[in-house]
Order: sequence, then C-alpha cells, then structure tokens
Amino acid sequence: MGEHGAIRLESLTRSYGRVVALDDVDLEVRAGEMMTLVGPSGSGKSTILRLIAGLDRPDGGRILVDGQDVSQVPPHRRAVAMVFQDFALYPHLTVLGNLLFGLRVRRVRRDEADRRARSAAERLGIGDLLDRYPDQTSGGQRQRIALARALLREPTVYLLDEPLASLDAPLRFATRADLLALHRDLGTTTVHVTHDQAEAMTLGDRVAVLDRGRIRQVGPPQQVYDEPADMFVAGFLGSPPMNLVPGGAVLGGSRGLILGIRPEDLTLDVDGSIEVTVDVVEALGSESILLTRGADGTRLTVRAGPRCGARPGETVRLRPNPDRVHHFDAETGRRR
Amino acid sequence: MTSDRGRKPLTAWAFLAPYAVAVGLLIAVPALLNLGYAFTDHTGLTRDPQFVGLSNVRRMLDDGFLLDSVRASAIHLALAVPLRLLAAVGLGLLLAAPRPGGRWFRVAVYLPTVVPDVALAVLFLWVLNPLYGPLNQLLGLFGHSGFTWLSDPGTARVGVALMLMFPIGEGFLVVLAARRMLDGRLYEAAALEGCGPFGQLRRLTLPLLAPVLLLLAVRDTILTLQVNFVPAYVLTDGRPSNATLYLPVYIFDQAFEFSGFAYGALITSVLMVVTAIVITALLLVVRRWRVLR
Ligand SMILES: Nc1ncnc2c1ncn2[C@@H]1O[C@H](COP(=O)(O)OP(=O)(O)O)[C@@H](O)[C@H]1O
Ligand SMILES: [Mg+2]
Repeated sequence: MGEHGAIRLESLTRSYGRVVALDDVDLEVRAGEMMTLVGPSGSGKSTILRLIAGLDRPDGGRILVDGQDVSQVPPHRRAVAMVFQDFALYPHLTVLGNLLFGLRVRRVRRDEADRRARSAAERLGIGDLLDRYPDQTSGGQRQRIALARALLREPTVYLLDEPLASLDAPLRFATRADLLALHRDLGTTTVHVTHDQAEAMTLGDRVAVLDRGRIRQVGPPQQVYDEPADMFVAGFLGSPPMNLVPGGAVLGGSRGLILGIRPEDLTLDVDGSIEVTVDVVEALGSESILLTRGADGTRLTVRAGPRCGARPGETVRLRPNPDRVHHFDAETGRRR
Repeated sequence: MTSDRGRKPLTAWAFLAPYAVAVGLLIAVPALLNLGYAFTDHTGLTRDPQFVGLSNVRRMLDDGFLLDSVRASAIHLALAVPLRLLAAVGLGLLLAAPRPGGRWFRVAVYLPTVVPDVALAVLFLWVLNPLYGPLNQLLGLFGHSGFTWLSDPGTARVGVALMLMFPIGEGFLVVLAARRMLDGRLYEAAALEGCGPFGQLRRLTLPLLAPVLLLLAVRDTILTLQVNFVPAYVLTDGRPSNATLYLPVYIFDQAFEFSGFAYGALITSVLMVVTAIVITALLLVVRRWRVLR
C-alpha cells in the first residue's frame, strides 16, 4: 500500500454551458497522501472528484493515475471509490444489500461477499444495522454505511465529497478523528473535499484552496495558513478571517499594498501602536473576539483571551506582531 | 395547533364531499342497481322489472358463449397487458434521458393516445388488411407470406392486442416522470462499482420503479378488460369463432341486442368478479416476490 494511487491533474478545464467550473487546474496528489480540496460552494471541488472518478469528461487537460493517462478508462476500471455528498445509498436495499451491491456486480462468491461485507460493517461500527433500510438510519450512520461501501471497493484512491457536511457539530468532530485514523490505517490515497475551513486545517496532509475553478494555493495546512499566497486564501482560511488593511494606514506600509494580519496576531497592550474603539465583544468562552474600529474607520478583528476585560465603547490599544504582517499587491492580490 | 387538529376531520370531509357525492350517485348507486337488476327480468323496454330469483344465474351457468367470452378476455389480458406495459415502460425509460430530438419522439409516442379509438381501429382495419395492409407487406420483406389477420382466431386476437399497444400515453408519461425523479447519483455510484446499463436497469431502475410498475399493472388490467370493446366492434365484431368476443362485447350484445338489461347486468357483475380475481392474484404474487419493501 501507499505505492499506488498517485494522481496528477494537468491543465484540466471543464465548462458547463457558460459556467466555467474548472479553469486550467494543475494538481499533484502523492501516493498515500490525504489531499483536502477546500473552497467556497460552486468553486469546482465536486467537479474535480467527478473527473478523477471518470463520471465526467474534461474539456481539456489530462488526468494521470500512477503515470497513466486514464481519459479512456471507464469509471469502474479506475479503482476509485467515492463517497458522495449526500451518500447516494440505494434506498431499496438494506444496509447489507448496499454493502453487497458492488461485490455482487463483481461476482464475488456469495459467502465470501457476505463475510467481507460484515467485516467492513464491523470495522465502521455499523454491524447491528445490517437489516435496516437507509431511511431508518441516522445521518452519522449513513455516512459510515457509505464509507463501508467505499472500503469494500478496495480502491487505490478514495474520493470523499464533503463526507462530514451533513453531520451535526459534535458528531462531525468525532468522525473527523475516525476518518483520519482510517486513512492512517489504510494508507490509501485520498482526495477529500470540504467547504469548511476548519476541516481543511485538521484533515489532510496538504490542502488545495480553490476559487471559481482555479487553484489558488497548495501546501500543508499550517503553511497555507501562515503564508497565504493571495488575499483570497488569506480571507478564506481562518475564522474570523484575516484583517486586510490598505497600505499607509494603521499597519503602515506603502501605497499599492494591502497589509494583512490575523486576529490572533493583534494583542491588547497599553503601549500598543494602534488606538481603536471596541464595537462588539463576542465572548466565546475559551476566547473573546473583539470587533474594533480605528480613528480612520479601519475595522480590525482581534482574538483575545477569555475574560479580557474590554467593553464595547472603550478605547484600547493594539500591538501587531511585526513578524506576522502579510503584504499583498493591491492590484493582483498576490503575496509580496 | 390543537384547535386545528379538532377541526381537521370535518374540513377534510368538506373537501371530500363533492367527490364523494359524485362517486355515490354516478358509481355506487348504479353498481348496486346493476346487481339488483341481475335478479330480475328487466329488458329496459317493457314493463317494470319483476324479481325472478336465480333464473338468470341458472341460464348463465349453461351459457357456452359466456365461457367463450371469458376465455377470449383472459387470453386478451395475458397478451395485451404485458405488451402494453413493455411498450410503456420500455419507451418511457428509453426516452426519459435528455437527448437531441427526444421531445419529438415523446410526442410521437403519446400521439396515438389522443386519436379517438374508433379512428385508430379503422386505421388498423387498413394496417391488418391481408391484401394491401402495411403489416403484411412488412412481413413480405422478410419472405413471409403474411396472415389473414382478422379472419383467423389466433391472429385476430393478436391483431387487437397489437392495436392496443399504441394508446399507451398515460403509462408512458408516468414511467417517464418516475424515472426522471430517480437520483442520478445512485447510477453514478453503481457505475463506479462496475454496474453496466443492463445491471443498472435490473438492480436499480426496475426495483426503484416497482411501486409505479405495480400501479400501472393494476390499472392496465382493469383498463384492458374494458377498452377492447371498440377495437373488437370495429375490427371483428367478436368473430372469428368468438375469439374476440370479449366480455364488454358480449355484455353489449346481450344487453342491447338479445336478452335485455337483466342478463347483461349479470355478466357485468361477472366482469367485475374476474377483474377482482386477477388483481388479487397480481397483488399476492407481488407480496410473494417481495417486489415492494
Ligand atoms: N452538471 C452540471 N451542469 C451545469 N453546471 C454544473 C454542473 N455541475 C457543476 N456545475 C457548475 O459548476 C460549478 C462548480 O460546481 P461544483 O464542482 O459542484 O462546485 P462545488 O462542489 O465546489 O460546490 C458550479 O457553478 C456549478 O453550478
Ligand atoms: Mg460539491
């Protein structure tokens, strides 16, 4: 394992009518890696998965798996398993029937198929649901059924399309860890799609940030967070998003630049260089988010400790961490 | 919420009332009257009907024509329902996917349903004509000498069933709509698992459409036992050798030409019983096969 499943996308393009879903996408996924595609809704994430799976054809460009061009390979010969956004479980089959579906199609012997389906179900903790129908299970259980079904495909590549999107917050947190553990166990190349920036930070060896069909940046999550390649990435990763201020204003810098600083890189400090008025204090328990405004109207979001003592209407001083100020070109939005 | 709930049944009945009244007056009462007339000597022309007990039933049990008629109806059912369903489902599934010109094909399939059935029957008199009819000419292309369609009992039955394969518009539309409502992702998931078009038909489309198909089968059974009246009247008048003397034809003959309303009413009840038996059998098979969840 870990030897197969390297994916390479070369200048992939796909349009639907006048909508450009993918615009010249280059991406390399290493064998055994978990790659997370993140971007706002409609940025082309699902389209990339569908092209890799062979469910759709690119207008231009190539898809290479282990160095082989797979354009002419039909979906079922590509050895990919997909977990769809809404799971796409067969509603007329029981959970067991859903797991057996692919094995039956591939004519695996009945007792062997049964054994494998049951062991996959055990592995994902849905062993006692086998006789239920999908509409008799919860969202989290459906997600596991879909994963078990993918597991039985024994693919060289897993494609997961927003697998956690339909789960509620606590379950999402727990399942995130399970997904990571499963990937570590299997060591199979996985492309995981999400529109949730927190998920992109925690899942995946590397993330690729998409916007309107273009890849903006690829790299390990922390690196993308620390050194966003442009203003879109800076604004998309991190919550609350990075403060972006025109050059020459409170953060200094020259005209033609946009300066960025993350809320956690601004500290409340009586000796700070920036004087602002606190508009709103959002006490989140473990931390406080201050929405503030400078004398020239510049809005700055600050991440402070819990019980930081600031009150709305108060004037406070902020100290930016000079090492963590980002510079972007005002024209192109690129990092400088 | 709670006060609403108390009023709900009343509101529901109020909305239901116009339909319930119509069903009562136009269907239930005539059906009961019909059953009553079966035990009288009512001719529909002369004096008031008199109760005659089981004498009509006794006559029916000796009626060789009725036996022929039930047999003709049964064979027609076995022939026409599968053919009609096959046509409706096949064309519905084929034309459900968007494709260039698909709209025109769909119109073409629906069109015969709009044609009045007498007109369609007259058209089929020509289609089935042994000398110059296009069907025999088509067979001629394959070196077959053709049939004398409507003069031979076997081919006459087939001829009527062939004609009834065309007015299938409603069933076709139902299948078309039902197929379009199925989730395309299921098919993508199946394709990824190596399921080809035929496997998808067998493992996804047909099982997912099972409730619709059952509905169509039941509806078509009822319909097929009744709509053969016009084609039989125009094409064959129940001949040859009673091969197309379907129950509706025989009922009409008895009620309006030979014996009057009373005997006609009795065989109408027979038609109802036959329909009920066939549908019960159908539902039992469905339950046995576990077609529905
Ligand atoms: N089959 C399709 N027909 C038309 N437009 C499509 C189709 N699939 C995707 N699109 C369009 O392509 C863009 C990218 O879609 P998608 O890849 O599904 O985005 P994401 O998964 O990132 O939300 C969207 O604007 C979407 O409307
Ligand atoms: Mg999507």
